Amino acid sequence: MTEATPVQAPQPVIVLQQVGRQYADVVALHDVSLTVPPGSLLGIIGPSGAGKTTAVRILTGGLQATSGMARVLGDDPQRFGRRTQERIGYMPQLFSLYPDLTAGENVDFVASMFGMLFARRRQRVRAVLELVELWPERGRRASDLSGGMQRRLELACALVHDPAVLFLDEPTAGLDPILRRTIWTELHRLRDSGRTIVLTTQYVGEAEECDAVALISAGRLVALAPPEDLRRSATGGDVLEIETASLVDGETLTSLPMVRSVDQRSVRHLFVTVDDAGTALPAVIAAIEASGGEVTSSREFRPSFDDIFAILVARHRAELGGSEDGRYPVSSTTTADGGAA
Amino acid sequence: MIVLKVATRLLAIVGKELIEVARRPGALFSLVLGPFLIMALFGLGYNNSGLSFRTVIVVPPGSGLSTQAADYQSFVAPGITLVGVQTDVETARLALREQTVDVVIIAPTDLEANFTAGRQSTIRVEYDIVSPVKANYALILAQQLGYGVNQQIIERAAAKGVSEAGSLGVTSAIPPAVIAAPTIADPHNLAPIDPSLISFFGPAVLALILQHLAVTLTALSLVRERHTGVFDVLRVSPVSAIEIVLGKVVAFAVLGGAVAAVILGLLVSAFHVPFLGDVGLVWTTIGLVLAASLGLGLLISVVSDSERQAVQLALLILLASVFFSGFVIDATQFLPAVQVVGDLLPVTHGIRLLQDLMLRGATTESWRLGVLLAIALVTLATTWLLLRRGLSARA
Repeated sequence: MTEATPVQAPQPVIVLQQVGRQYADVVALHDVSLTVPPGSLLGIIGPSGAGKTTAVRILTGGLQATSGMARVLGDDPQRFGRRTQERIGYMPQLFSLYPDLTAGENVDFVASMFGMLFARRRQRVRAVLELVELWPERGRRASDLSGGMQRRLELACALVHDPAVLFLDEPTAGLDPILRRTIWTELHRLRDSGRTIVLTTQYVGEAEECDAVALISAGRLVALAPPEDLRRSATGGDVLEIETASLVDGETLTSLPMVRSVDQRSVRHLFVTVDDAGTALPAVIAAIEASGGEVTSSREFRPSFDDIFAILVARHRAELGGSEDGRYPVSSTTTADGGAA
Repeated sequence: MIVLKVATRLLAIVGKELIEVARRPGALFSLVLGPFLIMALFGLGYNNSGLSFRTVIVVPPGSGLSTQAADYQSFVAPGITLVGVQTDVETARLALREQTVDVVIIAPTDLEANFTAGRQSTIRVEYDIVSPVKANYALILAQQLGYGVNQQIIERAAAKGVSEAGSLGVTSAIPPAVIAAPTIADPHNLAPIDPSLISFFGPAVLALILQHLAVTLTALSLVRERHTGVFDVLRVSPVSAIEIVLGKVVAFAVLGGAVAAVILGLLVSAFHVPFLGDVGLVWTTIGLVLAASLGLGLLISVVSDSERQAVQLALLILLASVFFSGFVIDATQFLPAVQVVGDLLPVTHGIRLLQDLMLRGATTESWRLGVLLAIALVTLATTWLLLRRGLSARA
């Protein structure tokens, strides 16, 4: 079991304690424990089939945990009361609206299901459709909207009743980068206004948008921490990438007090893990030059979140008995839109 | 406040269902107009002239009977078209095998002699028919032919007896025709209307269309939601299973009521189907047929795994309705155990009640209203329970 502690949790809105879910002989979720404080944004990230949607469905009451305990707003998701349900918004992963209804009718229908009366409904329908930039398309049938528009419509439906807790299963999937930026801005605004948001995403780069990230792999919680802490956890500190004109022995740097480790990739190419890149870089360069080397380039290396998650997952697998070394790759990249390359 | 919220949800479900139907008018037309037009065509196109069998009479040589077709016209009953008189049996049988004739009547060789000697003669009737309905009809015609021939023989014998008695000075006041047939039937239909196919089938068509419409629309409506992510959204929302069921029932009852009004109007005004009964009672029947059918459709939708299965089950209901409801074949012609199948279908009771109420002005089987109500309550309650279980988390 991997257990992690949230950043702040005086009165958590969401609690999972050793929650597991098993389908026949397949373990979809294994002993996951986490808490989410109010007014925070938790991103659940992991490879396809990792158990992200299973976790969200357990939290929304769509799926029963086979072990452990889940609480949302203090209630067991299996026995949500109407008042609790009115405070929860949910956006499923798959398109789940009525194709023959227009965009406006779909949002209005969902608002009605949450018991919103006409006047407020009309106001909110317009507000959320404008938010997702679908107000001009309100008269178009949902089936006639593009895939991206349908996702935005679903997001509008999840937001229309102004819920205190939002569960969003891949809300930005299929959206263009500009709209994703808009959505994230709105999610941050919602978070800042006290809403608690749990979302899954396939765009690992979006982890940076979250207050905390739960990394799930093969049904297990690999890590739960703020994004920057995860980065440092993966690399063991700040990483300096040094290239030299001539042969240099990285072992000479290990004697420096601020150096944690040295990864020598070639005779002229080093990765040096230090406590703090800003203060350590001059000392590292001085040490190399003192040993006769000539530094041709030096910079702080910030591995992408794809790399970070690859490292953390590999390390976790190794801890479980695998053979991967958990080193960060040299030539990994992140796509411009934040998606995994 | 809670009442307002529940009303808001119910109205939203009703509105959503009606909008969805309105957005796909083709489906509604094919569900309502399709069967209606087919049955109207059937009623208008069916000329009710009855079956007619091409018949050959075989007069064996030496029988002494006439070989002129005109001499046998008096034996020809309705349903028999006399196409010729032959003397060779095998030629007639060949025609039967080649299906150029339907019935071969083989006259006895020694009719008069047998009668005089006090022996029965046999009129052999042969036919080559695979249809059970036609075979039964041919059998009845053969029996009628036998009765007709017997009557003529008795009449001739009586005339001969009267004539011989007269020559001996004995007179009889009873004519030979009365001796041969002392009674004749004088049928009077006391029904308040003159029966016609359109009149008889009109109320049945109305009941069948209403059931088919309600079952098909509700079966598809809920199964689609169950197997898409819509149910995930509904599950998280405060909407309850009873609100979903009620919303759908109200929506499709409104739709079914409108369809019933249109069909009823067409039947009465365009097809001149009598409407002798109480309007309130007819609408009560229609309402109960709709409620029971909606319950049946919703039940199908909660037990179906897919839209395809829901459609198949709806078609099975339609097929069972056509066979066991009394729509085509009177329900009393089935074994009691099979009649139960028909009794479980709303249309069975709807047909009987609407035919009674519209064509007779009253019904002696008002208990069927109770059966319709029971079907509605049982199916809707079962649907609610199953749906409530479906809305809760998957174990």
